[in-house]
Amino acid sequence: MPIHEKELIRPENLRTHEQLTVDGVDVSGHWSTFIQSRVVTDYNEAMQDEIAALPGGEFIHRCWQCGSCTNACTVNAVNPDFNPRFWIYLVRVGMEAELLRDKDIVWQCVSCNKCTTICPRDVNPEGVMKALSHWLELKGHTPKSPSMVFDEVFADQVIRRGKIEDGRTIRRFFERTGQALQQDWLIEMAKRLVRHLPVGLLARLGWSAVIAPRTRDWSRARAAIEEYVHDQHAAQRQALGLDAAGGASTTREGA
Amino acid sequence: MNDPILIVGGGPAGLAAAHALARVGRRGVLVDKADRLGGAPILSGYAKLVPSGEWAKDAIGGMVERVRADPLVEVHTGTTVRAFDGSPGDFTAQLSDGTAVRAGAAILATGFTHFDSLNKPEWGFGTFPDVVTTTQVEQMISSGRGVRCPSDGRKPQRVAILLCVGSRDRQIGREWCSKICCTVSTNLAMEIREELPDCHVYIYYMDIRTFGLYETKYYWRSQEEFKVKYIKARIAEVTSDGQKLIVKGEDTLVKRPVTIPFDLVVHAIGMDPNVDNKTIASTFGVALEPHGYLARGNSYGNMAETSRAGIFVAGAATGPETIDDSIGQGHAAAISALGLLGAARAIA
Repeated sequence: MPIHEKELIRPENLRTHEQLTVDGVDVSGHWSTFIQSRVVTDYNEAMQDEIAALPGGEFIHRCWQCGSCTNACTVNAVNPDFNPRFWIYLVRVGMEAELLRDKDIVWQCVSCNKCTTICPRDVNPEGVMKALSHWLELKGHTPKSPSMVFDEVFADQVIRRGKIEDGRTIRRFFERTGQALQQDWLIEMAKRLVRHLPVGLLARLGWSAVIAPRTRDWSRARAAIEEYVHDQHAAQRQALGLDAAGGASTTREGA
Repeated sequence: MNDPILIVGGGPAGLAAAHALARVGRRGVLVDKADRLGGAPILSGYAKLVPSGEWAKDAIGGMVERVRADPLVEVHTGTTVRAFDGSPGDFTAQLSDGTAVRAGAAILATGFTHFDSLNKPEWGFGTFPDVVTTTQVEQMISSGRGVRCPSDGRKPQRVAILLCVGSRDRQIGREWCSKICCTVSTNLAMEIREELPDCHVYIYYMDIRTFGLYETKYYWRSQEEFKVKYIKARIAEVTSDGQKLIVKGEDTLVKRPVTIPFDLVVHAIGMDPNVDNKTIASTFGVALEPHGYLARGNSYGNMAETSRAGIFVAGAATGPETIDDSIGQGHAAAISALGLLGAARAIA
């Protein structure tokens, strides 16, 4: 008969000692592999409040673990390890170490919001997934995901100028994610644009790329948005017990 | 035909039956073994009742005063029924205080007995002073002293409420769900969070049975407004590290064992059959059902029947029951007894 508990043994919990003697008995080597205890010895009671302080996580305390979110989940259908119900539980009771084991797949949420529409308690699981990714980044557990970097580049431009300049967005995104600007598909796209676009439009594109236009009378709007974003970031960092600095992404872009 | 109706038990069901009979002009003799009326809510010092939120001493105390002031109800406290003979319309009861009562019918509103947590020694009651029961927490609140650790009087920072203590447990011969402990526990959890906002409250459960309309006001509200945390685990044992109580079990949703320190552990104790049920059954010649509660005769045709004609039953004597349903059953037993005796026609 298979031993079901065997699945619960995690490779990282196996301990083998080259040289070890316990009470006079030599237990060196592979044959006396030890398994570290799986016992959870305390809850991190700050965790639920921290997630609730981030946008999207506000209603996490409503969850009663029915599993509708996981059943509806687009990503779970492909990757059974992607389990919103489970992560919500871990946050609610504060099992931080258990959650961190899945830190590299939480961001895979595709925001289809099937969970949001099916949740009987209006927990907004999709929002919780966003808050969770954000929490992992703010706490330094994971690097920023590419899509997060893109969002920041995009938002930075809008806040600074009130407008988007596509070329700059792409350049900044590649730069920050460490990708080469000379991508085959990009060169091909540029060639075709030159070939097919009217001359006037091409001239405007070129002009925009050089002078980076901004919306007229934008400075007051920009100041208001920057202040708001700054306050939000500071509040979030404070809620997570982090120092206020290193917050607003808008302060990082050059020009 | 104008003999009084004997009511045994002065809790919510018995008080309701006595009052209902008096309202239609029928005399009642109310007998209670305790030295005062009110039943469990008064004798055990309950705090705020589910679902009204009224204090037990006001709500049930008011029912006691109403019956005490009623000239049609004769009250015998500190008294039991020694013998009960006769037939419907013509019974005679011998009371322990020497009185003989002629009665047309009898209503047994003999209630329940709180589960004694000493019967689950692995959960630390009786071993560690900071393991208490829901009844004790009710008393901490109703006395106005607030929720404190009995060992040193400190305010707990973390409280665990263990559900199904003395319920749904074949190991100790108690298969029934005690029906109200989930709701009472969520209510107490909210009371604790209200009094001590910095205290985290965890409820360890197998299922949550805040049935009917209690869902919104208790289970949902405890999570949504009071951030009470629910852990799906049947606790294996409660021990101590010398400083804190250590609650051990398996968190089944995470498939991991847990050993979590707590300041206060609360047993959500269930409702046992009244310890006197065997005596009551033999005195009145009524049958018990397999769990040890008084058996109902007919569930649909006539309310409140027992196995013996002329003897009716109401409230938690027949199984775990809520206070408001016990009151309803007290009224039902009264109308069934009146119907048997043709009292309605006699009054008209």
